[in-house]
Amino acid sequence: MKRRIRGASIPALLVALWEVGGRAGALPSDTFSRPSDILVAGARAFGDGSILLATWQTVEAALVGFAVAAIAGVLCGAVLGLAPRLERVVGPTVDALRPIPSIALMPLALLMFGFGLNMEASVVAFACVWPVLLVTIAAVRGIEPRLLELASTLEMPFGSSLRRIILPAALARIVVGLRVAVGISLVVAITVEIVVNPRGLGYGMIIASQSLRPDLMYAQLLWLGLLGWGLNAALSAAARRWPGAQA
Amino acid sequence: MTGSGPSVIAGNGGARRGNGAEPVLSLRGVSLSFGLDDRRRPVLSDVSFDVAEGEFLCVIGPSGCGKTTLLRLIAGLLSPSSGEIIYQGRPITGPSRDRAIVFQDYSKALLPWRTVKGNIALSLEACGVASSRRDERIGELLAKTGLGHAAHQHPNQLSGGMQQRVQIARSLAQEPRLLLMDEPFGALDAITRQTLQDEVVRLAAETHTTVVFITHDLEEAIYLGDRVIALASNPGHVAAMIEIGIPRPRSQLETREDPRFLAHRHRLFGLLQGHSR
Repeated sequence: MKRRIRGASIPALLVALWEVGGRAGALPSDTFSRPSDILVAGARAFGDGSILLATWQTVEAALVGFAVAAIAGVLCGAVLGLAPRLERVVGPTVDALRPIPSIALMPLALLMFGFGLNMEASVVAFACVWPVLLVTIAAVRGIEPRLLELASTLEMPFGSSLRRIILPAALARIVVGLRVAVGISLVVAITVEIVVNPRGLGYGMIIASQSLRPDLMYAQLLWLGLLGWGLNAALSAAARRWPGAQA
Repeated sequence: MTGSGPSVIAGNGGARRGNGAEPVLSLRGVSLSFGLDDRRRPVLSDVSFDVAEGEFLCVIGPSGCGKTTLLRLIAGLLSPSSGEIIYQGRPITGPSRDRAIVFQDYSKALLPWRTVKGNIALSLEACGVASSRRDERIGELLAKTGLGHAAHQHPNQLSGGMQQRVQIARSLAQEPRLLLMDEPFGALDAITRQTLQDEVVRLAAETHTTVVFITHDLEEAIYLGDRVIALASNPGHVAAMIEIGIPRPRSQLETREDPRFLAHRHRLFGLLQGHSR
């Protein structure tokens, strides 16, 4: 507890200075709204439900994109990790596609899906799939070969050994990739909203900024930070409850 | 337990082997090389022997003579470059639940995220045993292998000897006809090793399981085996095949002082010395 208080002392001091500086007129009010104003703007946005709707839109797109990437990345990664020959065929294509900045696919995604959830989720999925895929390939390759031999002497079908042996054995390392991907999913979703897609928190922030409402923009920014932190914590908790991890 | 066919009375000395019945396992001119073309390295050359139903066969040889490779061939994890391996009248084409392996490196062969019970359950799940019947089967196996008190512990909480017991229990759970053991006690201390040796003999007899047991320990091979095959290296080939003929039950103290035991030890020791470079 003492450590927490000590750790919170610097942010608290900065916020206090910010408030005092703002009231004293030392900070330009069109870029640095005072913390008190930010709180009020945030409370209003919660009051009329606008921030909750925007949050849902952003989280929905991020999670749909992340889920598609996680499922595709883990399954393909497991197959490629177990089949080095196939990996040598597919590898160059992966290496060619991976460096494309996902943001650069926005115009294409817009043409394919128009504005809305699908377009945003597809860009998120493209961005998220690579870390999951690469980490899964490495994780599956690192599995103790004895365990794979065990699966084959038990004549386990692929699905069964995937569920009972391969994924649990690789899980700890796959989770690293998934956590990276969760972070990316939120970044990309917000970016897509700021740049083209008229929905969600990113769009809310750019509108607040353009209509000279820095207080509202800050409130959304703060909320977004909490959201990212919460997503990461939720994923860690879920990983601890993986079915194969117990029993 | 496996209701096995004709045969096998435990504790009846060299007479455990079937009476002229078809061998369970038969290797005919088995050779294996690793690598391609000019980098080809022969590992096993023209290995032939039969294993009878209910037999406890030990294979010894210096390290690098291809003992483990031989076991992996029998398991179906490798295919011979030439020759054939006949199991129950059919050539082996791949791994089978009917031939269980106990690996040497027990710490790598158990699922670290599952408890002892869960590790044993893995075999039962793979064999399609209904979940309602699993607990009962696991209970039997735990009792049989002396793991009762450790059911809910994870492998990393157990000693090496206990971990190896878990591997044995898991292998028996799949009710194999043939149990393949790859230097299972090589990394254990002498006392634990002797206890487990006696238990494996007892379990194999109780369940009428045929055992092929790989070891580099001469005395272990003679003590356990109905028959001992000595492999020589470069490339691995059968140097000798010895009927042990010491009646069962054997005792860690007296059997090892038996003149026949000492005679076998002499002969095998000479053979291995002569062949290991």
